Formats: sequence, structure tokens, C-alpha cells
Amino acid sequence: MTEAPAAKARVLFVDDEPRVLTTMRILFRARYEVFFAESGAAALELLKSQPVDVIVSDQRMPGMTGIEMLRTARELNPNAMRILLTGYSDLNAIIGSINEGEIFRFINKPWSNDDLTTTVARAVSAARATQAVAARAGDPNAVAAMAADSASGTPGVLVLDDDPAVPPKIQAILGGDFRVFGATSMDAAVTHLEKEAIGVVISDTRVKDNAVVSLIGTLKQHRPELVSVILTERADAGSAIELINQGQIYRFITKPIHDSQCKIAVNSAQKQHQRLAQSPELTRRYEVEQTPEPPPGTATVNVGLLERVKTLRSWARRWV
Amino acid sequence: MKFRWMLAVLAAVAALAGLGYLLRMTQGLDTNLHRDRLTMLRTADNLDVSLNRAFTQTRASSLTDAAADRSKITADLGATLDAMDKGPQSLRGLTPDLDKKLDTFLDTIDSKFELGFDFEARSTLLTQRAINAIDAVPPDIAAVRAALPKDTPDDIRVQLDHLQSQITNYGVSPTPTNEPEIRATMKALDDFAAGKSEALVTSTHDLGVLIDDLLEDKGDLVRMYHEFLNRPTGEQLQAVEQAYLGWYEKQLAVINQYRLYLGAYAAILLLILGWLGLRLRRSFSELDRAHADLLHANEHLEEQVEARTHDLSAALNDLQASQAQLVQSEKMASLGQMVAGVAHEINTPLGYARSNADIVRTSLADIRQLCGAQSKALHLLTSEEAREEDVAHALSAAQALGESINAEELAGDLDGLLADTDHGLSQIAELVGSLKDFSRVDRSRSDLFNVNDGLDAALKICHNQLKGRVEVVRQYGELPQIECSPSQLNQIFLNLITNAGQAIENSGRIYLHTQAEADGVAIRILDNGIGMSEDVRARIFEPFFTTKPVGKGTGLGLSIVFRIIEDHGGSIEVRSAPGKGSAFTIRLPLRQNRKSGTVAESSPPDDVAVAVAVAA
Repeated sequence: MTEAPAAKARVLFVDDEPRVLTTMRILFRARYEVFFAESGAAALELLKSQPVDVIVSDQRMPGMTGIEMLRTARELNPNAMRILLTGYSDLNAIIGSINEGEIFRFINKPWSNDDLTTTVARAVSAARATQAVAARAGDPNAVAAMAADSASGTPGVLVLDDDPAVPPKIQAILGGDFRVFGATSMDAAVTHLEKEAIGVVISDTRVKDNAVVSLIGTLKQHRPELVSVILTERADAGSAIELINQGQIYRFITKPIHDSQCKIAVNSAQKQHQRLAQSPELTRRYEVEQTPEPPPGTATVNVGLLERVKTLRSWARRWV
Repeated sequence: MKFRWMLAVLAAVAALAGLGYLLRMTQGLDTNLHRDRLTMLRTADNLDVSLNRAFTQTRASSLTDAAADRSKITADLGATLDAMDKGPQSLRGLTPDLDKKLDTFLDTIDSKFELGFDFEARSTLLTQRAINAIDAVPPDIAAVRAALPKDTPDDIRVQLDHLQSQITNYGVSPTPTNEPEIRATMKALDDFAAGKSEALVTSTHDLGVLIDDLLEDKGDLVRMYHEFLNRPTGEQLQAVEQAYLGWYEKQLAVINQYRLYLGAYAAILLLILGWLGLRLRRSFSELDRAHADLLHANEHLEEQVEARTHDLSAALNDLQASQAQLVQSEKMASLGQMVAGVAHEINTPLGYARSNADIVRTSLADIRQLCGAQSKALHLLTSEEAREEDVAHALSAAQALGESINAEELAGDLDGLLADTDHGLSQIAELVGSLKDFSRVDRSRSDLFNVNDGLDAALKICHNQLKGRVEVVRQYGELPQIECSPSQLNQIFLNLITNAGQAIENSGRIYLHTQAEADGVAIRILDNGIGMSEDVRARIFEPFFTTKPVGKGTGLGLSIVFRIIEDHGGSIEVRSAPGKGSAFTIRLPLRQNRKSGTVAESSPPDDVAVAVAVAA
């Protein structure tokens, strides 16, 4: 069946329930070269000898959680796209999967086969398309070189928060490294994005009672090199999962702000932005789901604003 | 505070000591003594003068009386001098100058006494001789007169006559002044007699010898007398007195100076006392005010007590409300954990069951297509009017489809998938069943219950937390059914088993052991986890005591366990050793007595049971 192994993508499934693995095997065996592991440790062992393009893992497993496994897997094989498939996860697990696992998607059990296959297919194509660049991006020297290149025009940081005290505080934490622009409404944020060179957006989950997920998702679609960091005190599991799947947020940190944590997050977000700006093909790794139609009656970001976002000129393209 | 108090006492003592010292310094002079000393000095002076007078009188009065007088005066004077030299009124040792002057005076007066005694001793003899000489003079004068020649000038005769009275005068006067006249007369007589008759020369010579003796004797006496009187006792005594007075004045000056100091010191002390008084007054007024306040407060105490009681009961209500809220939130927290586990447990089989169903449906479409192709080929084969190439085409199509689908393998896969789906569904059914068992929503709150079933129900609920890392060893004995609230007991078992699982860091074992006892059942839950220290063990049933990080545990779990067991009239014991594990032993009675039964029934509605039912 595998007459052209080079052409077939390699996908690893990790779950402590063997029946799930059976299902996966039947579901995906025709399309990919599939690998299975019943525990995190077994998955890591397999990863040492088998380069894979996508890892789909359960979270709650005895011995090692999915996030712990994915964190280590990211070091072993940075190119592999990571997907978490789990029945239930508490908020800490989700935040961990964002900050440590840098996962591509978070899929709830029970899943829909269509969604799962679509997501895995996207992950596979992103992994394949970016294999060469990702390997380069994983190399710290290359990153340093890129950082040196961009020293001349360091893009700024946009802070979107109801509390006007937050942007100055972040400017104080970051010192003179980056210019910080503050916005207390999405409108003001988009205005800044139109005028200024922005690399990183720091946002609360809600601004003026509107969820920012649609704004961040739209931004990611039209300005894929923009990197988002969520800074909030209203962390909940549902919105965090939405923000991963539809916004590809890069980091999720909670208030109260810890100086060093915030600084590290923003610095690595800026590096990420530089990587993405240098190698636009890498942005495929951070593709977002199409924003689902908002349920009627809920407060939504006005469509005009999102249209404005779509017309944003990517200064990064000009810059490259 | 104590230090300050001691300081105050020290200051007071120092002030008193200063006052005492100054007072003593001003009291240094005894005016009586001074007066006595002055009297003594006057007495000595008077006695000296008396002595002199007595001495002078000696020669005028009869000897015996004078001697008696003198010896009395001498004795008095001696006593006075002794008093001056030593004794309470002594002047010794006051100043060196005074001592020296006193010494001089005493020496002088000693020598004066000696002189006095000497004089007295010689005076009697010399006076006698003088009297004798005076008595002898007239006959000698008469002899001279008789021997005078006829031509003797009148001048000589007058002088000779005059000599008689002169001698008498001389003898009688204590300090005669006519000695030169007598000597001149005698010279004139001698000169006249020279070359005259033998008788005259002889008588003149005799007279001359007699008068010379007289003059000599008298001269001795007078000289001694003068010497006696001229002893400078008076001046020296005055010097002593002056010196003494000088000392006294000086002492007086010193004392006056100290008086001045004392006055100043007393003034300062008065000022301090005044200041202290002022302060005291202020303190007193504050005390008065405080006292007044207290009185006022006392008057309003009852109102305050009432108000405070009201506040306290309000606070108590709040506390009770918040405790109830905390108990509730602990329940919700453990419920949340449980739901998380159960949701995952259910979602996993649900996930693959649904997915499998989907796969089967998709596969059915393929199979249907294959069936269609095969039946079409079959139909053509059996059809009379079918053309060869049509049959061949239909057959090859059906074969190609059959090869691509691999019906044999697919059927095997589908069988497997359906079996898995079946398994998943039964797993879900089992979980829901155990949730129902656990919550006992379909059972009354007080019921006959087999504790072993409760342990199994709890085990199923927390299976997810234990699977793969904790081995559970069950050693159940034959148990009688006990009267209890099953849902509450299940909650206890879930709590203790969950704790045991959390105490095991990587992998380990939990032993569940039950046995029947005389009047109830005993349940032991043991683990070989990290155990706990004696300090922790002593506090685990305290509300809000937790060893978990802040926000991870409310510290109410075990206190609720304790309360439930207490409500059931049971007991719970803990033994633990750090690093080895913990053992909880629960004993429950067979039957509830009415009181504890009502308590069990009256405890708050079992939210876990209700909520779990909702979640399931």
C-alpha cells in the first residue's frame, strides 16, 4: 500500500484508549502513513526514530499528560504540527498547551470525522509546505541572524485592553525595547494597525464586552505575520480553545501581570513575528479555522471593522 | 515601664540624699557648744585675772586666806584648762593655728603656775625676812643717829629721819618705787660717814647692809611678782579666743554658704515638686475624664452590649452562611474534578463510537456501490440479450471496485469497529450506572446499604485518576447491611480514595479492606504514598487545613468526611508515617440511633448527588 512513502505524510496518534487508535487507523490509513502510541512515553520513544508531520494526542493519559508529551515532542521534532484531541481539559491544561505545546488545534471528544480529517489535512499540508523553512526557523543561529537584520525597524506592540493603565505598564515592563501603542477599543486598535508598524498584539479576551476572537482571527487571516498574545484575568477554557483554533494565539498569560513572564512572552512573540515576516510560507503553520457564523443575538464586532482589517496593507510585505 | 519606675525612685532617693547632705552641712555648728566654749574662755580669763588679783592681794591680806583662795582659783583654772584641752568642749583639732596658740597659752600658764608655786614658796620666807629687816631698821637708824657728830648738817638728819618712813613705805608698798631715793639717801649717808667716827661708819654700814638685804629680798619678790603678772596669759588666751572665733566665723561662713545652697536646692526641689504636682493634676483631670467616660460608658453599657450582641449574631450568621458557602464550594470543587474525570471517561468511548458509526456509514456507501456493480454484472451475465463486451465491462468494473474496496477486509474492519462501538456504548452505560449508584438519587437518604458496593461505586468514579498508575487491591469481607445515608458514605469513600491516589506520586497501591465487627463494620483505606508528618496528621480534620497549594484545595474535604462519620455515630482513625503511607480506619454502627439518624437526615441536601445526576 505504501509504494511511495515519500509522498505519504506521516501522522502519529497517541491515546491510552486503543479503540480510539483503531478508529484512527481505519479513518486515516488510506491517506497517511499512520503511527500509534498508547502512552506519552511510547510516543516520545517512537518520535526519536520516526520523523512525523503531525502528532494528534489525547490529554489525559496515565503517566504523562498530552501537553507534557507535546512539549517534549516540540523539542524533538519542531516541524511536526501538534493537535490535542481530548475529552475534557481544565483551563491550566489548555493554557499549558498554548504556551508550552504551541499547538495547532484543540479538538474536543467526541469529534466529528469531517472536522478531524480536515484539520489533520491542513496540519499535514502546513507541515509539508514549511518543512524546509521550519527547520531553518528552528535553528537559533538563523533566528539570531534574522533578529540582527530587523534591528533597524523593530515593529511596535499594540495593547488592546479596557483598562487604560495596562499599556503604560507594559511599556514600563518592556522598557525601550519596543514601542507600545495602547487601545481601549477594537476601533482604535484597527486605526493603530492601519498607521503603525505593529508586530505583536496583546489583547484581553473581551474588550468593551465584545469577544476579540473574531478580530484576532480576521487579523490572522489577513495579516498572518501578526502575532497575538492574550493577557486576561477572565480566563475560561471555552474561549481559550476558540482563541487557539480561530485565532492561533501565540501565548496566553493571566493577570496580574508578572513582569518577567510578560517580557519573555512579548520577546518571544516578537521573534516569532520576525520569523513569520521573513518567511511568509511559515504562516501556513498558523492558519486559523474560518470564523463560524456568530450565533444570532450575540454582540459581535461590527462587520465594517473586520472589512477594514481585510484591507490592511501588509507593511511586512513591503518591508521584506 | 519598670525601668522608668526604678529611675523615678532613684531620682527621689538622690534628691532626698542631696537634701540630707545639705541639711547636715548647715547643722555642723553647735551654738550651745560655741556658747560653752566662749564661756569657758571667759572663765579662764576671769580665773586668770582672779589669780593675778589673788596674787596681788596675797601681799596685802593675811597669808592663809590668800593661799586658800588661790588654790581654789588654781584648781578651777586647772579644770577649765583641762576642759579646754580635752573633753567635749575641747578646742583641740579645730585648726592648726588654734592648736598652736592653745599650746603656747597652756605652756605659758603652766610656767605661770610653776612661777606662782615658786613665788608662794619663797614669798613667805622673803616676806618674813623683809619684815625682820624692816623691824631691824629703826634701831639701826637710831644707832646711826646717835653716832652722828654734832656738826651733822640738818640735811643729813632730815634724810635719816626720812629714811625711816621711806623704808616703811618700801616695805609696805607691794611695788615700791622709792628704791632710788633710799639708795640716794644711803649714798649720802655713806658719803657723810666716810672719814667720820668709827661708830658712825659702823652703824651706817650696818644700816646699809640691812637696807641692801631688804632691798634685795624685796626686789626679788617684786621681780617675781612682776614676772608672774607679766606672763602673757591674757594676751595668749585672747589669741586663742581670736583663733577660735576665727575658726568659728569660718565655719559659720561655710555653713551660711551651705544654707544658701540649701535654699537654692530647696527652691529647685520645690519647682520640680510643683511641676510634678501640675502633671499629677493633669493626670488626675485625665483620670477624672476617663472616669467620667467610664461612668458614661457604664450607663450605656447595656445598649452597647445589645448592639454588640446584635453585631455578633449578625457576624455569626454571616460566618455560618459563608461556612455553608465554603462547604458548598468544596463540594462543587470536588464535583468539578469528578465531572472532569467522568466527562473524559464518557467522551472517549463516545468519541470512537460516533466516529466508528460514521466510518461504517461511509463504508456502507462503498459496499452499496460494490453491490450495485456486482448485481449489475450478475444481471448482465444472466441476461439473454446482453452483449459480450457489456458483460465484460460490467464484470471488470465490479472486479476493479471489489479490489479497491477489498470487501473481505472491510467487513472484518467493520466488525471490529462495531464491536468497539458496542464496547464503548456499554462502557458509557456502565459509567452512567455507576454515577447513579454513586449518587443514589433513586434511593432514600436513610437506607440499608452494603458498604462494599459504595466502595466499588466510588472506585468507578475515580477510576480515571487511578488507572495505569495505582493498583487497587480489594479485600472485602462479608458485610451486613448497615443503616446509613448511602450517598454520603459514597462521598466519604470517593474523598478518601481520591486523597490516597493523590498521596501516591508516581505509582503505588491502594488497599481497600472491609470486615464485619460485633456491632458494625470497619473499613480500612490504606495507601503506600507519601504519608504525612505527625503535625499534619493532627490537623487534617480541621476545616480549612490543607497541604495543597493555594487555590487547589479548600481544606474542607476531610472535615466534611469527619462530620458525616460523626453524624452516623461512627469513628475515624488515622495512622501515617512520612514516606510510607497512610491508613484511614472508619467504623460505622449497624443501626442509627434516632438522634444521629435525624442529624444525618437533617444535614444539608446532598448537592453532589443532585449535581452528579445533572452532569450524568
